[in-house]
Amino acid sequence: MTRLLLRTCACALLVVAAARPAVAQVDLTGMWAPIFHEDQVERIPGPDVGDYAGLPINDALRMRADSWDASLLTLPEHQCKPHPSTYGFRGVGNLRITAEVDDKTQAIVKLHTHIQWQEQRRDIWMDGRPHPPDYVAHTWQGFSTGQWEGNVLVVKTTHLKAGWIRRNGLLISDQATMTERFIRHGNYLTHIYMIEDPNYLTEPLIKTNGFQLTANPVMQPYPCYPTVEVPREKGDVPHHLPGENPFLEEYANKHHLPLSAVRGGAETALPEFMATAAARDARSGTRDAAPAARTGSAATRNAASATATPADGEVRSLHVQGNVWMLHGGGVNAAVQIGEEGVLVVDTMTAALGEKVVAEIKKLAGDKPIRWIVNTNVDPDHTGGNATVAAAGESIIAGNFVGQAGQAAANFAKVLTHENVEARLVKVQPALPTQALPTDTFFTDEFEMHFNGEAVQFIHVPNAHTDGDVMVFFRKSDVLVTGDAFNTVSFPVIDMEEGGSLNGVVKTLNQILDITVPEDKQEGGTYVIPGHGRLTDEADVVEYRDMMTIIRDRIQNAIEKGMTLEQVKSARLVRDYEGRYGAARGAAAADAFVEAGYRSLKN
Amino acid sequence: MVKHIQVVAAIVVLASGIVLSAQQQAGRGGGPPQPPPSPQAAAPIDLTGYWVSIVTEDWRWRMVTPPKGDFASVPLNDEGQKLGNAWDPATDGSCLAYGAAGLMRNPTRVHITWENDRTLKLETDAGVQSRRFVFEAPQPPAQRSLQGYSAAEWELVGPGGRGGQGGGGGGRGGGAPAAPRRGNLKVTTTMMSAGWLRKNGVPYSENATLTEYYDRFPAPNGDEWFVVTTIVSDPKYLNQDFVTSTHFKKEADGAKWAPKPCKS
Repeated sequence: MTRLLLRTCACALLVVAAARPAVAQVDLTGMWAPIFHEDQVERIPGPDVGDYAGLPINDALRMRADSWDASLLTLPEHQCKPHPSTYGFRGVGNLRITAEVDDKTQAIVKLHTHIQWQEQRRDIWMDGRPHPPDYVAHTWQGFSTGQWEGNVLVVKTTHLKAGWIRRNGLLISDQATMTERFIRHGNYLTHIYMIEDPNYLTEPLIKTNGFQLTANPVMQPYPCYPTVEVPREKGDVPHHLPGENPFLEEYANKHHLPLSAVRGGAETALPEFMATAAARDARSGTRDAAPAARTGSAATRNAASATATPADGEVRSLHVQGNVWMLHGGGVNAAVQIGEEGVLVVDTMTAALGEKVVAEIKKLAGDKPIRWIVNTNVDPDHTGGNATVAAAGESIIAGNFVGQAGQAAANFAKVLTHENVEARLVKVQPALPTQALPTDTFFTDEFEMHFNGEAVQFIHVPNAHTDGDVMVFFRKSDVLVTGDAFNTVSFPVIDMEEGGSLNGVVKTLNQILDITVPEDKQEGGTYVIPGHGRLTDEADVVEYRDMMTIIRDRIQNAIEKGMTLEQVKSARLVRDYEGRYGAARGAAAADAFVEAGYRSLKN
Repeated sequence: MVKHIQVVAAIVVLASGIVLSAQQQAGRGGGPPQPPPSPQAAAPIDLTGYWVSIVTEDWRWRMVTPPKGDFASVPLNDEGQKLGNAWDPATDGSCLAYGAAGLMRNPTRVHITWENDRTLKLETDAGVQSRRFVFEAPQPPAQRSLQGYSAAEWELVGPGGRGGQGGGGGGRGGGAPAAPRRGNLKVTTTMMSAGWLRKNGVPYSENATLTEYYDRFPAPNGDEWFVVTTIVSDPKYLNQDFVTSTHFKKEADGAKWAPKPCKS
């Protein structure tokens, strides 16, 4: 009894100790009205084209913004894009902050923000959870975690989609991160945010917003249904070719500002800048700024890899939706569809990862047999594990053929692909084991089957990465697996020897967009597993399609001007995207892409 | 069993008293009453040093003198607009643009020092101005001035602090490791003479009051910043409070300090 009493007392003491006040917090919940006493002209009517003053942009972003054409916003796939959280707090409409509280502990699990324009909904997790790995999908609002520092809410955000820092073509990349501070002073809320982007900013961009607590509780809905506003050729992406944007000097001229100032850069934000601006313009001989060196310093690129998946030779899985999981390892992706009939595997990664692929599938599917392997192309990082994965599977062989193929054939999963892929796989030296080779092929534009309760379409992609790529669309799960027809880490590899072409790449990206349907506000809905990189949705493919179209048009324009390949390379027509897509495989790969693009267009 | 419950209840009450007592003692500093620390010693943040404004906002209205009549973002009433439209561009560079209510929006470096243990001095190289933030302020002077009279106070969070609006607050119990002192500087400025919110003569009147909150924080890349949230209340020329927030980055020293006087 004494022990019981002591235990009870100890518990009581713990209860009392635990009841001590937590570190002070401030109540941020409520409806907040934005105060437009800063940057009102930029935030409400909108910024002028060519106004980059005060922003720490690099030459890559300057070139990208110079190419931007406001008509881009008329494309259906651009109409319903909300602001990302790196810009949304600057926009119009009230901000509502609510808290979700754990009923048992009364601790705040998350804060939820809702901004009226385009219904920007965001969660700020307060429960100490880590940020997800870098291969999960990015969203407009990103993934945010918060913690209190005294009365200040400090929020860190990753996993952002590419989006505005100013609505005149200045975008940050999807590798940007943001740190915010929410500071309440009475009925005013000061929101401070810092954006870091290894691709487009030379130093963190800091801005502030003001809000005032309002008694007006109205939050209007904001539905958005895209439509064709301007009839265009399929795949047309409005943009200005390098040096041909006629509007870039309008802003400077209208306000009698030095062009070196409105062209932006970190130095333009310093008090002493204007003392030297006129001299800078005079020195340049032209009012434009010269292109800088290749974009992205080593230091800033290192920052981008801080959340990268460790290169530990492991294969990780991510449930996408429905019956489909994405497998990620060694810098390459695969996918599995799992159901009552067994497992369908799209690509098998490298030979070295084959066992890890099988182990991860077993973890997900248990004893369900691997029935099918589908290869999206011939490359060894997509087919290398065929033999191992096939050996871990089993097939259902029609009785008439058992005699011909032998009962042993049923001890392997079947391998399906386009016949062009098969034609190259059989030529691989040293020769691949039999079970690594396709058992089934198709030669049509499309092949289909019903497996695990859903329709599965196999779409031949001619003349993009190669002439034999395959995309796999799980219709019920609403997941598209693209193989190397699309990736998020680099410029595409165009294998001209095997039938690839730049126009084919662009056509395929538009084909992907024909399949994808976003759930709402250009987010979610159909998910796309690329050959390399993170999970994506339509908006990410749009970003890549826009880039490829713009680059294609630039190279085509250069060819029409009579420029040689060397001249095109020297002109660095892809330098606005080099930091983001040229770093993973190196400058040589970026040059190889330009060369392949040039040669394929020339042909 | 009833006895046991009574014993437990007594222990809980006793323990509560111990904890509360510890909290109260921690709040007072414990032991015999001590004189309160000076404002300098009590500072929850260190604002001293050289800082530079990084003009990423309102660039066209801060880095250059805007044209006459360009009042974008400022909630001027009719009377204020009338006065603003009467501005003479020949007066560009006037010290009126460097009064307390408009000073911190100028592109400038600021140098903050403790003049004594109850007065923070803030100097700017743009316009060569000095402001004094006086803690435990006595009565303001009778004379108005460009920089007015600034009463300062620390708004503390945690031990001895105010907690916050709408939740939390209070100190920690005895025995727990001391939480870092956090808070901000609040400055209320009155007795200003009339001046300009912007270089192009956007007016504020001598009736205006200025409330500022200074918050210091680190950036992920190691830089140190402060943001001053500025609220200008002027029933004569403004329809509503004029609210801005302006950010300054810490500099290692005064190597870039470049005084440029205004035209008095």
